[in-house]
Amino acid sequence: MKNPIHTLSNARFSRLAIALAILLLVLAIGYKVVYPWAFQLYVGESSAILTYPNSQPLTDAEFETLSRELSEQARRERAAEIVGVDQADFAREVKIEMLMGTPSFVRESEPSHIKYFRDAGIRQYQGPKTCLRCHATTKVDHGDGRVTTVDTLDDIVNSVHFKFQSDADGFSTYGYDGRKVNAPGERRIPVGKINRACGIPGSFSWTGWAALVETRPEHAEGATVTRSEGCGQCHIGGNYYPATEKMMPIGDVPVDAKDGIDCLICHSAEYDMNQRYVMRDDIGPRWNQDRSLRAALSVGPVANRNCLNCHQHNMGGDAYLHNVAAKSLGEKNQRLLHKGAKRGNPFSPTDDLHAAANIQCTDCHVPEGHKIPRGRFGVDLVANDLPGKDVACEGCHSRAPHNQSEHKALLNGHIARLACETCHIRELQENNVVLRDWVHPTWDAEEGLWEPTDVYRSGKPGKGFTYLWFNGNGTFLANALGNNPNGSTDYNPLMRQMARIEDPEILAAVRAKAIELKRTYPDIDVDAYVTAATDPLSQLSPEMRERRRAMIRDNLTAAMNEGESRIYPFKLFNAMMFEDMGNQGPFGAMILPFDYASYYETGDTQASVIQAIRDPIVRRMYQQPFKLYMMDEFMSYFGVTEGWRTDYPLVDGKLKGVEPHWMRQMGALMINHGIQRQGHECKDCHAPDGLLDYAALGYEPERAAELMDLDVLQAAD
Amino acid sequence: MSFVPIRFEIGRPAAPWSLIGVLALLMLGLGRPAVAIEADKQTKACLRCHAMETIAYRDPVSREIVDLSIAPRLLPHSVHGELACTECHRKSYRRYPHPEEAERESFSCVGCHEDDSAEATYQLKTVESEYRQSVHVAPGAKHADRFNCHSCHDPHVFKVSRVGTDIAQVVRDGNQVCLSCHEKARDPQLGSHAWLPKRDAHWESVRCVDCHTPASAEPSRVSHQILTAEDSNRDCVACHSRDARLLNRLYQYRSEEDLARRGLFAKAIFNEAYIVGMSRSPLVDWISLLIIGLTLLVLTAHGLGRYLAYRRRRNR
Repeated sequence: MKNPIHTLSNARFSRLAIALAILLLVLAIGYKVVYPWAFQLYVGESSAILTYPNSQPLTDAEFETLSRELSEQARRERAAEIVGVDQADFAREVKIEMLMGTPSFVRESEPSHIKYFRDAGIRQYQGPKTCLRCHATTKVDHGDGRVTTVDTLDDIVNSVHFKFQSDADGFSTYGYDGRKVNAPGERRIPVGKINRACGIPGSFSWTGWAALVETRPEHAEGATVTRSEGCGQCHIGGNYYPATEKMMPIGDVPVDAKDGIDCLICHSAEYDMNQRYVMRDDIGPRWNQDRSLRAALSVGPVANRNCLNCHQHNMGGDAYLHNVAAKSLGEKNQRLLHKGAKRGNPFSPTDDLHAAANIQCTDCHVPEGHKIPRGRFGVDLVANDLPGKDVACEGCHSRAPHNQSEHKALLNGHIARLACETCHIRELQENNVVLRDWVHPTWDAEEGLWEPTDVYRSGKPGKGFTYLWFNGNGTFLANALGNNPNGSTDYNPLMRQMARIEDPEILAAVRAKAIELKRTYPDIDVDAYVTAATDPLSQLSPEMRERRRAMIRDNLTAAMNEGESRIYPFKLFNAMMFEDMGNQGPFGAMILPFDYASYYETGDTQASVIQAIRDPIVRRMYQQPFKLYMMDEFMSYFGVTEGWRTDYPLVDGKLKGVEPHWMRQMGALMINHGIQRQGHECKDCHAPDGLLDYAALGYEPERAAELMDLDVLQAAD
Repeated sequence: MSFVPIRFEIGRPAAPWSLIGVLALLMLGLGRPAVAIEADKQTKACLRCHAMETIAYRDPVSREIVDLSIAPRLLPHSVHGELACTECHRKSYRRYPHPEEAERESFSCVGCHEDDSAEATYQLKTVESEYRQSVHVAPGAKHADRFNCHSCHDPHVFKVSRVGTDIAQVVRDGNQVCLSCHEKARDPQLGSHAWLPKRDAHWESVRCVDCHTPASAEPSRVSHQILTAEDSNRDCVACHSRDARLLNRLYQYRSEEDLARRGLFAKAIFNEAYIVGMSRSPLVDWISLLIIGLTLLVLTAHGLGRYLAYRRRRNR
């Protein structure tokens, strides 16, 4: 045996070692420097070190003044909860002040981070950098006895709240081709909100991340007022664009983007939503956030107000009376309010009994670190961090929740077929939007902008929302799947409940709106407009319609009959948008996004689409690599079996093969909040013209007749 | 079928004698007479609510969930499936909401079956006396005051195992009755049956009651006197022997089952040749058959040879 040291010093080996080291170095540089640079160039984005105007250092004296103020505020709030109100105001005030000065009370009530920051010498809040000084790792309780320790930054960066998409399995969504999205064994593609163009927001996060809109409100008398708009307002990344890098199998978001994460919007009790507005710098527009020391010192357990900073927007809506965040629209460039509500089921003490009981969001959505469960059921294409974790009424209420009514056993009996929400959400907010026309906007004089026309809004059952069988599965375009447990072959919501509106009241309302729109848009044929809006399948050719029928039968029957279906309430919506007709199938065509600024400012919808699809990432979408990487797979799920056609719909500055259409069916969104104590009455459903259309729900005629008959309860009278 | 409102239910409940008549008629294949149809209507009216899988309420005293659900598909196959609901339950139950006094009813299986053929077949009086000594109703036993026949036997589902049911199914069904309360018995962490060799094999092929009851006077019946853990059988030889107690119970059923399925010949050849649970290797069966066959063949050939040799010698 040779001496190993001797072998190493051998010239040939050292040459090899050096070559290997250089190769590794080149690969490392390539991965860390060249790849991110090339990727940003490819998608046409750039990032920079992110600065925030309100992240200012304080002097020690300023720090102490602020601390005193926050401490006093916190102690006063807590003392006021303890000291009874059944006494004279003056006596109460004296007692509150006494309690505020009591040493043990001070210890328990003072915001914990005042001491931490004072001791650590922290006088400026600099985003994740500051938090991670102490919280580099997080203990994660998985709820099954396992406790692990994870890297905090990594945990948040790989959560759906940051990425808005996932290529993991765990979707309960089926493609119209019958395949479960990203199921084991399938080629996985990144899907979620990041790349989902949606009829309600009218855009997608790549092209609509952050925009400044020049509005001309009446009261400004000719002057313009700048407003903020875009998907980024609700998303925790502070960068100039969403986390596109996360859609690739390799690579990571830039370090700067991680520094832009807004920890405090979720963790601070004093987060100022007035800091949430769009600002523009040399690179482009992006969203500001509250990085004041005041917000940082007020961190504490995540409370409802934190979640609702963003999520009341998609529950109660921006125009909802008790949307607290919507009361602070920004100290400048105020955020635009979306007047039509996405769901119209608010989570607030006024309209939800759980909120009234001070139940916290995280009591049901029990987080594991920064991963937050949304339940096993999901009708839409929204990524799920914890697909195996239940979020369900039964978790607390058991399978016999009714204890008070004389009919408690009967009410409990309904649980086998009805979800709790079916009775306990009696109505939604009346501004819940069902039909939205993006193609024919309406001038809003008060706001001074063109806004999409909400052709029909309603919060009433049977109008603003309907009842469908649901087993937890959904389709690629948010259609609830399920079937009557009797194995009905007649129940076909994709041809009926979600594809046609027959209610004469709604038809009349749509007609009235069409006549109103005709004044601005003389080309509108009122009859054709009403037909397309309320019978969107009429836009399909007979062959396409037949193909649709066959695909539902052949591809979706199994997913519909799976598991146990119950009747759930679903908010319905449809939208008229511009579509790329080159990529059309029986379930719709690829919808094209709008550029927010030009849309709101000019109302020229075609110009707005042209502006949006000029975005480099849309150009990339219409190129071969994107087609091969994900679009063919995406279109197959979409029901277009011929693959993605890369004909870019903009030729010589003009739209080509683009037509305005209503989507071929309505989307069905789950509604689970806005729970009311008093559910529907028996006779609301068990009557000939009740809320549930038993025949449409697949019941045999005899059974349907039986269910519409209230004799059991009449006998009780 | 049209729906009959509960309120106007006026059908006369079927008397026991008419039920026997119904059964006789059914056996003669004469179709279903009016009485049975009336019982059907009544049942259907009750099932309108009680067929709901989740019909239940939480008892304010015990705080436990009381299940009121009747499986509509199992009911017709149970031993009581031919009866109208109000033959056992009070007639006032036909009104909804059920009057309060109706809820204080009590049932006695023995009381119903005192004079009929069921007593002769199932000896319910013996069952009752055994049951009174059972660990479930022993003084100080948990829930002893609330324990009754229906704690184990759901009268709406209960049926007697018939020859033709797979023995593994019989074992599973039987054990499910015990395990619905004793859910921890199978928790491997607890090790209540840790001493038992081949525990899982036992659980799959022997019922809980086969060990947890004393050998009864009439060997073919399983006693209703459930024993304490200490008093239960731990003697392997009680079953694994030529004179096995198991052969008189579960395996008697199995023997009948074998007879019915494979015929007398197979039964005669492949019976439990050695001891319960340790024979019946089909390979050994076939090897022994082969050996016997070969021996016979050799013997026949030998005999034939001898005979042919004898004929040739005589001819010569």
